[in-house]
Amino acid sequence: MAEPPAARTDPASFAREWAAAVSGTSYLPMGNDELETFLAGLATRMAAQLDGDPPDQRLGQEIGADLVTAHVASPEAIGRTIEVVAARLLPEVVRADGHCRDRLAELLGAVTTGFARALRDRTLDEQEAIRRAALLARQHAEQALRESEARFRYQATHDPLTDLANRILFTDRLAALFARGTGSADSPRRLGVCFVDLDGFKIVNDTLGHQVGDLLLVEVAGRLRRHLPGQLVARLGGDEFVILIEDTTDTDHAVTVARTALAAISEPANVDGHQLAISGSIGIVERELGMTSPSEVMRAADVTLQWAKQAGKGRWAVFDPVRNERELAQHTLAAAIPGALDRGELFLEYQPIVSLADGSLRGLEALVRWRHPEHGVLTPDQFLGLAEETGQIVRLGGWVLAQACRQARHWQGKVPDPPFVSVNLAPRQTRDPALVDIVTRLLDETGLAPHLLQLEITEGAVASEDGEPIRALHQLADRGVRIAVDEFGTGTCTLPYLRNLPVRELKIAGVYVAGLPVPAPDRDPEPTVDERILATVVALAHTLGLTVTGTGVETAAQARQLRAIGCDTAQGWHFGHPTSSERLTGRLAGEPVPSP
Amino acid sequence: MHRPGWAPEAIDIERPSVARMYDYFLGGSHNFAVDREAAHQVLAIMPEVPLRAQANRAFLRRAVRFLVDAGVRQFLDIGSGIPTVGNVHEIAQQVAPAARVVYVDTDPIAVAHSQELLAGDDQTSVIQEDLRAPDRIVANPVVRDLLDFREPVAVLLVAVLHFIPDSDQPHAAVASIRDALPPGSYLALSHANIEDIDAHDREAGERVYDRSDSTFVSRDTAEVARFFDGFTLVEPGLVWAPLWRPDPGSNTTGAEQSIMLSGMGRLGG
Repeated sequence: MAEPPAARTDPASFAREWAAAVSGTSYLPMGNDELETFLAGLATRMAAQLDGDPPDQRLGQEIGADLVTAHVASPEAIGRTIEVVAARLLPEVVRADGHCRDRLAELLGAVTTGFARALRDRTLDEQEAIRRAALLARQHAEQALRESEARFRYQATHDPLTDLANRILFTDRLAALFARGTGSADSPRRLGVCFVDLDGFKIVNDTLGHQVGDLLLVEVAGRLRRHLPGQLVARLGGDEFVILIEDTTDTDHAVTVARTALAAISEPANVDGHQLAISGSIGIVERELGMTSPSEVMRAADVTLQWAKQAGKGRWAVFDPVRNERELAQHTLAAAIPGALDRGELFLEYQPIVSLADGSLRGLEALVRWRHPEHGVLTPDQFLGLAEETGQIVRLGGWVLAQACRQARHWQGKVPDPPFVSVNLAPRQTRDPALVDIVTRLLDETGLAPHLLQLEITEGAVASEDGEPIRALHQLADRGVRIAVDEFGTGTCTLPYLRNLPVRELKIAGVYVAGLPVPAPDRDPEPTVDERILATVVALAHTLGLTVTGTGVETAAQARQLRAIGCDTAQGWHFGHPTSSERLTGRLAGEPVPSP
Repeated sequence: MHRPGWAPEAIDIERPSVARMYDYFLGGSHNFAVDREAAHQVLAIMPEVPLRAQANRAFLRRAVRFLVDAGVRQFLDIGSGIPTVGNVHEIAQQVAPAARVVYVDTDPIAVAHSQELLAGDDQTSVIQEDLRAPDRIVANPVVRDLLDFREPVAVLLVAVLHFIPDSDQPHAAVASIRDALPPGSYLALSHANIEDIDAHDREAGERVYDRSDSTFVSRDTAEVARFFDGFTLVEPGLVWAPLWRPDPGSNTTGAEQSIMLSGMGRLGG
């Protein structure tokens, strides 16, 4: 573009006026000097348009567009620009003549067109940009939401301490496994579940603190994960873990996994400077999918874990449906005991305890029976197994005790030399703080002579550090009640320990009696080890001032052997089956019993 | 304003954004109908708001120029809003091409727009954060990556603090950022003070902002000066925006009507 002769023009002063007119119409990202310099340049270009020939619409439009580019872009800015240019450009920058005036109108038209077009484009661009930004922001927000949902889902399905799957995820995976189908008839799909529990974890927590306990859990979790790649290992809570084995081939497959897990757990752990030797117990369930359900599998695994723990810990056990059925049946029966008591389905039978010296009847052991409407008459071993655990035993035992006392009182009044009645106390009853009160009240209510009541306790019930049950037994013994230790020789009770107990009698467990040798002509006359043990026990008992009863005596030979060893009394089928009180009343009146 | 960490905010373009309203006041088209509607309500009460926005924007330009001349090459622009005419990095890099800038805003759309604009620029970046969480800003990996906190940093808080009520402890936030800066760093800020505006108009204006994504709070000179605790104010101190180091020859009459208190402080050492 040709520079117009300087003499005719003064763009600087024109630009100053122009700048003053447009400043403040919108934000201009430049200082006033910069603005004036810029506008002076535009003024020069416009002057050239008026001056030269031929006028070019396109160049005028460019000037308008340049204003927008420089952000002199508001409606007010173009309005004031037109005013200033129309009024001042000709006198100040260009020679004023008619020819130019015509051109000026054309030029302003072109500048305005260029300005409006550029501003329109810019507005549309900016609208597009902000809409795109809103869209992007929304996408970012949705992405963040998805991520936070994923994070939330992870947190909801994982244990924060060990980062293992938690119960929710495990349950989901188990359910999904079942949902995938049970396979075909000739290749049924199987699964295995190992329910893992650390042995003695509570001791670690209690002695070294929860922080060490937590670190140990993290350590164990890490080992399980490392040693069992591909298996879902979950922490169900506390020190309970569970392993899901999908598509097991057979039970050995699950056992192999359990062995691996036990080995991993058993490696010594150095936790926070403590060298910890731990072990675990595992209950294994391995079944065909079609034969079970998720809840059944979990219940079975839980039960089996308890078996492993009961069997001595540090080991695995495999679910046994037969054992489970049996325990379930016992459980059901135990739960039905209160109802049976209310309906009068329980009754007592009495088994004679006979003097080996003269065959006289010394006592009667009260034994509870259940006349079950479906199963017939049940003996205690069929329904008492779980009554001790569930606590049903306390009410039942109380009922037996009361019945037996009433019956004994009945005989006390009718028979010249009445036998004592011997009642079994369950461990829970022995430890019941109300025992002394219960017995005392029964004696007072019935008027039964205390020496006609014998309470049979088990070795385990009193072989504890807790002195409370022993104190109770002393109180009862002081009152005159006989205390006997039942099933002696099967528990942990030692003879010296018996010195601290107010025991009158030992009842030798039936297994020892059954172990006595069968007499035969060619028999070695030397006594067997069992015989010698039995003789020693009897001798020691006598030293302690206790009488000894042999139980489970089934034959005359056994009776003779026991008498030879020195046993005082005996009971068993040989001396009479458990019998109803009615029949016994007759017998007490004079019926003979088998001779010893 | 506050949300739990796991729940990202929703993008609500039905609510006026102060960033987009400011863009409109400056003559931009980076705004939606809701923003323009709110802006018109403000204009009906205070028709001179666009001029004040321009004066504020002009203060930002002069402040950045001053900082570049003072040798500062790192900028942390908090409350940067919609990138519009005359952004900090453009002003700074005109004079000092090596200048590095991190923009910070809480408005997700403003941030998304900035990201688009700055894509491929390795000297300039933007993060979505809130001035109310200064520790997160200072610890942000993008900030740490681009800005060296052993060298002076200029923190710009231009027209942002008046959107943070006292209950959110803006003074503590600024102090917290100050404590992360090395000696020789600067704080430039502008803050609305509408004490002199008719109470009725003031309340009407505040009500418009109550419907936006931010609430508006005016502070007097003493309260604004307290943001500079620990800094030494450079000349001419805390003044109306047009009076802060005006361009030679510019007309500063009526500057007291700009309502924007502006100032620059330097951290000693």
